[in-house]
Amino acid sequence: MRFDRPSFRDIAWLVLYDVNRTLGGLASMELLRRSLGARGWLTDEGHGLFVAISRVTPGTNILAYCVALGWHLASWQGALVSLAAASVPASMLIALISATLARVDQHPIVQAVIAIALMVATLLVLSTAWNLLRPYVKGPNAARTGIIAAIVVGLTLMGVTPIRILLVAAIVGVVMHSPDVPRVAEVER
Amino acid sequence: MSIIALYLLLLKATVTSFAGMGSLPQIRQDLVVTHGVITDEQLSQAVVIGRSAPGPVGAYVVSVGYFAGGWPGAVVAWLAMVTPALLVIPLVTLLRRWLHVPRVRAAVDAVVIASGVLLLTSVVRMAMDAFDQLTRVFG
Repeated sequence: MRFDRPSFRDIAWLVLYDVNRTLGGLASMELLRRSLGARGWLTDEGHGLFVAISRVTPGTNILAYCVALGWHLASWQGALVSLAAASVPASMLIALISATLARVDQHPIVQAVIAIALMVATLLVLSTAWNLLRPYVKGPNAARTGIIAAIVVGLTLMGVTPIRILLVAAIVGVVMHSPDVPRVAEVER
Repeated sequence: MSIIALYLLLLKATVTSFAGMGSLPQIRQDLVVTHGVITDEQLSQAVVIGRSAPGPVGAYVVSVGYFAGGWPGAVVAWLAMVTPALLVIPLVTLLRRWLHVPRVRAAVDAVVIASGVLLLTSVVRMAMDAFDQLTRVFG
């Protein structure tokens, strides 16, 4: 994959804008996929890889995703710029709110805004989920995808933690491996 | 409690969790139950503040840090939140090196699929949350 690399300012602005205008990391990942994909800086396959890796990285998923993204775009500097843009604004706002001890959840306007934002975030997460699964629901992959999906849903209903579910999925993937498995597009530097 | 100790306790919580709110039980155990640095009410308020603000859900730990140690506490809490994210770099580097191996590729594909399905289960929970919030606000 070849592309014109973004500047640090581009990375900082896009990450700051997309991570801090929605509630929750999953919706932010989808916004970043769209923003960076539109500029040719990230493929859907690369996005899928970063989403998967962020789920098995300790801590907050969106921060791991942003570090992976920044690393992919501009090495160490990109990773740090991306991490700062994703974490500093929200952290400053949260610290300020904590300092004033404002009960933001009590204000009706805030509650209404949160309600609408939650709906939008839900739709964005649905979009992300579909984009991740789309390459795997066609042709010879459909059966394997169905089996993995059934296992994931079953384990979720049993209360198994996501990290264990992902580990089980990785093992199932290795066991069910066949030479016809489609390539995961490599993220080239 | 010293700032270094606060950082280490918060780091222990964030590095052993795999989602923003996953650190909550460990933080409660260490800061509320064991050391009594914050109260349950303050922890709950930190969660609400984190949930109400845009950005990463895991940023609620900054509020925890503030309640535990003022502005220095908020700064070390931010550090504890971002430190684990840097672990993704060796993971990405390792994967790049091994991605040409078919079984590794198959495992990664399976994890991507599982991530997508887990996201779908999250959508169900989020939709219920959004519906609850909407009915609470608009009646």
